[in-house]
Amino acid sequence: MSWIKEGELNLVERITSNILKAGPMPKHVAFIMDGNRRFAQKKNMERQEGHMQGFNKLAETLRWCKHLNIPEVTVYAFSIENFKRTKDEVDGLMELARQKFERLLDERENLEKHGVCIRVLGDLNMLPLDLQQRIAEAVVATRNHNKCFLNVCFAYTSRYEITNAVREMACGVEQGLIKASDVSEMLLDECLYSNNSPHPDLLIRTSGEVRLSDFLLWQTSHSCLVFQSVLWPEYSFWNLCEAIVQYQLNHMSIQKARDLHREHQALQQLEVDQACVAEILQHHGNGKPTDAQRRHEALQRYTACREERVRDFLDALKHKRDSYFSDLCSQSVTA
Amino acid sequence: MATLMALFYTFLWRILLMVVHLNRSLVSYFRVRGRSWKSRLWERAVSVLLLPVALIGLSDQRRLSDKPDTNGSPAHGTRTKCRRTPWLCDTRSLEKLPVHIGLLVAEEEPSYTDIAKLVVWCMAVGISYVSVYDHHGFLQKNNSRVLEEIVRKQEELLGGEGSKYSVEFLSSNKPQNVLSCRSTVKVLSPEDGKQSIVEAAQQICRSVENRERSSKDISVSVLDILLRESKNIPDPDLVVKFGLVNSTLGFLPWHIRLTEFISLPSHRDVLYEEFLGALQQYSACQQRLGQ
Repeated sequence: MSWIKEGELNLVERITSNILKAGPMPKHVAFIMDGNRRFAQKKNMERQEGHMQGFNKLAETLRWCKHLNIPEVTVYAFSIENFKRTKDEVDGLMELARQKFERLLDERENLEKHGVCIRVLGDLNMLPLDLQQRIAEAVVATRNHNKCFLNVCFAYTSRYEITNAVREMACGVEQGLIKASDVSEMLLDECLYSNNSPHPDLLIRTSGEVRLSDFLLWQTSHSCLVFQSVLWPEYSFWNLCEAIVQYQLNHMSIQKARDLHREHQALQQLEVDQACVAEILQHHGNGKPTDAQRRHEALQRYTACREERVRDFLDALKHKRDSYFSDLCSQSVTA
Repeated sequence: MATLMALFYTFLWRILLMVVHLNRSLVSYFRVRGRSWKSRLWERAVSVLLLPVALIGLSDQRRLSDKPDTNGSPAHGTRTKCRRTPWLCDTRSLEKLPVHIGLLVAEEEPSYTDIAKLVVWCMAVGISYVSVYDHHGFLQKNNSRVLEEIVRKQEELLGGEGSKYSVEFLSSNKPQNVLSCRSTVKVLSPEDGKQSIVEAAQQICRSVENRERSSKDISVSVLDILLRESKNIPDPDLVVKFGLVNSTLGFLPWHIRLTEFISLPSHRDVLYEEFLGALQQYSACQQRLGQ
C-alpha cells in the first residue's frame, strides 16, 4: 500500500464535504490512531496485520483530508513508551516503518505532484541507524513541498519534546546566543519539534480512550478534542465528518479562548521586558528615577535587541536541525 | 453559478449546524428533566420502550445496588437508596477512585456554590486531591470566596460528619488554613499551565547562565520535579470538564499526560448522579501505559 491514495469522493461524500466546507474548517488535524491491535484481535488476525491495516487507513484519511481542504495532518505513529512493548512487536513496527519510508522514496514523483511535505517529529537517535537514514532521506526529499504537510510523530512523547525544547534553550544560553530572561512561551513554542506547524485545531483519538497519552500536550491546549469509539482501521469518512462538525460547533468558543490566551501572552512578554529594562536603568542610572520618555525609549531598544537575539538563536537552531537530516542522508549515500 | 452553489452550501451548512445544536440541547434538556421528580412519567415511558436494553443491563444494575428499581435505570436505582448516606454505598460500587481529580469549568461564568458542592462531594467520596480550574482565572482571583463556599457547603452537606473531612487549601501565592490534611484543594488558573513550564525553563536556564548546571543534565524528570513544586501531588487521574466546549482550555498541559477526560454538560445545578456517573465511567477505564 502506498502513501498516496488516488481517487475522488463519491457523489454523496462530495456534497457532504461541500456543505462542511461552507463552515470554518480545521487547518491542522492531529490523530491518535488507536485500536489497531484490538482490531486485529477482533478479526482474528496477526497483530502485524492490524498495524498494516492501520497504515492503509492513514493513506485513506490523508485522501479525505485533501478533499476536505485540510492541508496539515499530524499522526502519533510510535511513542517512546511503545519501546516497552514485546521485542517482537517493536521489531515488527520498525520493519513496517522501514518498508513504508522506503516506499515513500519510490513514490517521490507522486509526492511532488501533490506537493506533500513529510516531517518526522521525535528523537530519531532512539531508532536503528538504517531507519534513521531512511527517514532522513524521506524528510530531505520532500522538504521543499508546500501544499500538504504530514507530520509523523515517531519515538515521540510530548514531555520529551518539551524537555528537548528546554535543553535547546539552555544550549543557546550556554553559547551566549540568548539570555535566560529571553525564555518565553513563544520561544519555547519555536523550539519544539513542531515549530514549523500551527497548533492543531482538532485532535481526534479513536477506539474510545479518553486521554492524550503524552501526545502534543503543549500544542493542543486550545484545540478541539474529539474522542471517537471506532477502532482506527475501521475509521470512515463519516467519522471524520462527525469530528469536523464537532469542531465547527466548538469553533467560536475555542477561538475566543485562544484570543484571550494570546492577549495574556503578549502582556506577560511586556511585563518581562519592562522588568529587564527597569533593572538595566537602575544599574546605569545609579538608582536615580528616570522619566517616562526615557523609559519608553529604553523599552523599545531592549525589545528590538531581544527580538534580534531570539531570531539569531532560532536561525542557528533551524540550521542545526536541517543539517542533522542532511548529514544522515549523506552518510547513507557514502555507506 | 459557482456563487449560487456556494450560497446553497452555506445555507445547508447552517441548517446542519442548527440541527446538531438542537439535538444537543434536546439531549441535555431531557437528561436533566428525565431525572427530575416531575417527569417520572416520561422516564417510565422511555424505560418501557427501552425494556429490552434494561433487561440486559439488569445484571450490571444488581452490582450497583442490592435493591434494584423496577424502572430499570441503573442511575435511578442507586439514587433512592443513596439520598441519605450517599458516599458510603457509592464508593463501594467503584472499583477504583482517582487520587487527584481536576474540575475544569469550561463555561463563561463559574457558579461558586455549585463548584463548592462538587468539591465537597469529591472529598466525601474520598478523593485526596481536588484541583479546580477555569480558563478566565476567575476562580483563582476569587480564591478566598471559593474556599469560603467550600467550608459552608461542607457543613451543609456533611453536617456533623463534616469534622471528619478536614481540608487543606493550597494556593500558588499564599498557603492558608492548613488543617489536618484529609483532602487537599487547589484552585488553578491558566498561569499554572504553560506559564509555569516557562518559569521552570527560565529557572533552569538561569542556573545554566550561572554555570551551576549544564544543558546536558536536563531531563524529563528534572523538569517534572520542578513542576511538581516539591509538594509531591500526583498528576490528575481524572479531569471532569463542565460545559459544551471540547477542549482542555490550557489546563496544566504538562500534568495531563495520562489523565482521563470526562465531560458533563454544565456545572450549574449538577446532580450527584451525574458526578457519580463520571466516577463510574472513570472506574471502567483501563490504561496500558504504552504496552
